[in-house]
Amino acid sequence: MSDACKVTAERRGDVAVLWTDGYINNQGGEEIAREAYSQLESGARALVMNLEKTRIVNSIGISILIEVLERVMDRKGVLAFCGLTPTIDKTFRIMGLAQYATIYRTQEEALQAVSPRV
Amino acid sequence: MRPAPERPADRLRDAWREVGVVLRQDPERPAPARVAGTAALVSGASRAALFLREKGRWSEAATFGDPAGWTMPDPCPAENGVQDGRLWIRLEAEGELHGLLGLEGVPAEEAADIAAILGALLGPALGAHRFSRLVKEADFEVRTRVLELESLYDLGLSLAGQLDLPALADEVLFRSISLTDARKGSLVLLAEDGSALLSRHIGGELVSPREAPRWNLPEGEAVVNNAAADEPTAGQRLSACEKCLAVAISVPGRRLGVLAVADKESRDAGVLDFTPTDARLLSLFANQAAAAIETARLHRAAIEKERIERELELAAAIQREILPRALPDVPGVELAAANVPTRQVGGDYYDLFPLSEGRLGFLVADVSGKGVPAALLVSTVHSAVHLQIDEAKTVAELVARIDRHLRRFAATRKFLTLFFGLLEPDSGKFRYVSAGHNPALIVRADGGLERLESTGVPVGMLPNASWREESVTLGHGDLLCVYTDGVTEAVNEGDEEFGLDRLSSLVSREAAQPVAQTCDAVLSAVSDFARGMPQYDDQTLLLARRV
Repeated sequence: MSDACKVTAERRGDVAVLWTDGYINNQGGEEIAREAYSQLESGARALVMNLEKTRIVNSIGISILIEVLERVMDRKGVLAFCGLTPTIDKTFRIMGLAQYATIYRTQEEALQAVSPRV
Repeated sequence: MRPAPERPADRLRDAWREVGVVLRQDPERPAPARVAGTAALVSGASRAALFLREKGRWSEAATFGDPAGWTMPDPCPAENGVQDGRLWIRLEAEGELHGLLGLEGVPAEEAADIAAILGALLGPALGAHRFSRLVKEADFEVRTRVLELESLYDLGLSLAGQLDLPALADEVLFRSISLTDARKGSLVLLAEDGSALLSRHIGGELVSPREAPRWNLPEGEAVVNNAAADEPTAGQRLSACEKCLAVAISVPGRRLGVLAVADKESRDAGVLDFTPTDARLLSLFANQAAAAIETARLHRAAIEKERIERELELAAAIQREILPRALPDVPGVELAAANVPTRQVGGDYYDLFPLSEGRLGFLVADVSGKGVPAALLVSTVHSAVHLQIDEAKTVAELVARIDRHLRRFAATRKFLTLFFGLLEPDSGKFRYVSAGHNPALIVRADGGLERLESTGVPVGMLPNASWREESVTLGHGDLLCVYTDGVTEAVNEGDEEFGLDRLSSLVSREAAQPVAQTCDAVLSAVSDFARGMPQYDDQTLLLARRV
């Protein structure tokens, strides 16, 4: 895991997959939000965030992810997470992210689940 | 925003829609911008600005039209009205003032009506929006506290079973950074001698492994430094951060490491002060980490001890297999031998070789090192001597062949001192090579004492080495004593060695006894001398008298 969070994305039809690599803090969260909003603007209906290369998330990062989730929901879209460490998985559940976004174990499971819904 | 519709009914409809969006909290367009825009839409103002009061302080939250030149009137107007060409409207809900709206370009005759309409429309909307946001913030805060408690609990559980030190360090550092919202952090664990054992850093090296042992931190209490960057923290000047929080990881009487985090993030990318809650949290993490690290260390020590015990058992077994189970019965020679292995199992080896024409070969060797490597080398020497003894024509050639064999087949590059002697019992001729070995002793029947000094370097030490073969004659009653340095270098509690002189005197004094008795007397004397002090080298003794 690198220190500054890097975000890469790939479009698969209506679904955008975002990979994060690094600490999801203010800087990392902003990178994710920038890429997520760009994907939504260009027509993506579902976002799958693969966090397998992220081992730390702080509350600022979570609040930005909640903002992204709200925007996705406002557009009647879908947000899914996958590749979470057990610690991040539990953090997302406690902080309420898992109430409106679904957490999957693998990217394949996430893609399979979100594809028919969009 | 699109131009205002011409019909008042359309303007009102659009305004209500905007207010609805404000109440619903559209994440794509912040509420203040919508409030300012709606105000302009309804009033037909050319420019609008919204000021909000957060925690008792006013600040500009949004503008509509040209954003330049807006300043908040001081003091805040007590009533709606026109000031300096701008209409100022108080946005209130439930008697509480939430915002102040400024409009430009509103006809003076409509100002009172517009103020009344917008105040009634946008005041409650803004109040509801802010209340909803406060509820969300409170919910986030409560969840964050729950997360902290859960993390403490989880960390305790996770660390209790975590014996892998690097994984343990990652777990502690990641959680510390995450829960204090720090931008960076370092964890340095110290070895028992106080040097840095392991370090982990996120966002840069906050604590240098070299300087970590010098950090002056109180036990069990985090030190907060929210001052300027050049203020020293715990005696160390940190240039890589603005604010810092550091804690010692320690168990009673011993510092195990230093944990530090820096630069608590805010949502606007600024740096906040660390709070007492952050300090308490980091102290609790450090306490849990200390217990886990100590457990992991004790576990590693126990495993290492077990490994050494197994290795020693193996080495002892190898040595037991190689040493002769019984001494040969050779006419004309009275023999005795003993080997006292130490707990660490050194590399002593002795052997006797009955050869043709009644000759007898004596070997005493001492391999450098201890444990399994030394035992394996002894095993190789044992094989080499047994393979080469019939091939070599002289003792010197035999030693040279052993040397070559070791260079070719030994797994480790070690060397050994060795004494090999060949006795012809009939004539008493004794030819020998001492490869860097302790001087063997001959106690003549008349009481005279001679030392057989080394005739070459230890075997395996130098390439292309050769050894000088010497010979003496053993008369009837003469006693030969070959030993290893474990005998002469046995130490007592005053760190004094038994020494060659003491051994020479003892062997001379006991020489008239049967050799087995002399052998026992020497070992007893060495044991009495050491008075129970642990010895670090095997003691081997080989005695032979020509009878």
